[in-house]
Amino acid sequence: MRKALGGDQAAYAELLRETARLLRPFLSRRIGFEGDADDVLQEILVSIHKARHTYDGNRPYKPWMYAIAKFRLQDYLRMHYADQLRHAEDIDDLENILGADVTEPAISYESISGEVLKLPERQATILRLIHQEGYTSKEVAATLGMTESAVKVAAHRACKVLRQKLER
Amino acid sequence: MKDFEQLVAQLAGEASMVKPAPHPYLLSLKLIGAGAVYLAVSLAVSGLRPDWTQAISQPWFVAEIVILFAVFVAASLSAALLSFPDLHQKRGLVFAPLWMFGLFLIVMWFAWRADSPPAALPLHTIECTSCIVLVAFLPTAWTFYIMRNYASTHFHWAGSVAILSAFSVGALWLRLQEANDSIAHVVEWHYLPTLAFAVLGLWIGRRLLKW
Repeated sequence: MRKALGGDQAAYAELLRETARLLRPFLSRRIGFEGDADDVLQEILVSIHKARHTYDGNRPYKPWMYAIAKFRLQDYLRMHYADQLRHAEDIDDLENILGADVTEPAISYESISGEVLKLPERQATILRLIHQEGYTSKEVAATLGMTESAVKVAAHRACKVLRQKLER
Repeated sequence: MKDFEQLVAQLAGEASMVKPAPHPYLLSLKLIGAGAVYLAVSLAVSGLRPDWTQAISQPWFVAEIVILFAVFVAASLSAALLSFPDLHQKRGLVFAPLWMFGLFLIVMWFAWRADSPPAALPLHTIECTSCIVLVAFLPTAWTFYIMRNYASTHFHWAGSVAILSAFSVGALWLRLQEANDSIAHVVEWHYLPTLAFAVLGLWIGRRLLKW
């Protein structure tokens, strides 16, 4: 640092790299996001640069450097938590959602069965065999004389149609 | 990583020879010296209290002035140390104003008890506080101007002791200028407002010393 204060650019660059090497684990222990830790590290280096005239060459470098690092870290954490508070949901706003009965299903078993019966006969049979009786696609294919992939495609289309009807 | 190397190169490119900051003791001497000269000039302009020969024969008055000056010195020293990010690694000295203020309270307690029968309350009230604020304005501005040249990482506390230092100059001036021996008045309209402004300094420090 003494050389750097004397204007030695190479020594100063080396000092900044060494400082960054010391600070990376210090910051990553305290900041969850790696991208943020890098941003804070760069801010600390800029602050060290701005305040370098306050360093006394007769004293150890690390306490001075860590004082600036902690100061910038606290700044970051203060802003981070203030941001989180700003974007937090107000519990009063959630009352309407929380009031809804989430344990009561919106669609009844009878309404699904009714819609299944309205599907083309082959699709309804495939759904019944797979979802009610528990057959695999391969077994259904063998029973109905279809290929396995055709059964899967038919089941997928039937589910899609059902979803559209029930969501309406 | 590329950004980091760019930043290092940029900062190293700007690394010209810098003039190091003075030692905090020298800086505090500068603050104390300027405050003392300002106090002397203010007293020379306004004049000492008419009964000053009688006042300096009262031990609790002398003790009050001496301790108030000690508060000013301790606050100036603390302000100088707080201008450095690591407090120049003299953390204990930063709290000197608190000890001095504690001592000042003890002296005021004894002065209050010694004020028997109590001296007559002066007719004026808030005028004293206004005078202290007016006299302390320049030292406050100058102290903050000096402190802004450095890099305080404890700006709340730094702002508070800077105000305490400047307002103790104002309080000293008024105590040496005004012929008034009512301790109740002095506490209520001189020292409590000084303390209140020192608390306000926590906020002013954040506004003026953040970097």
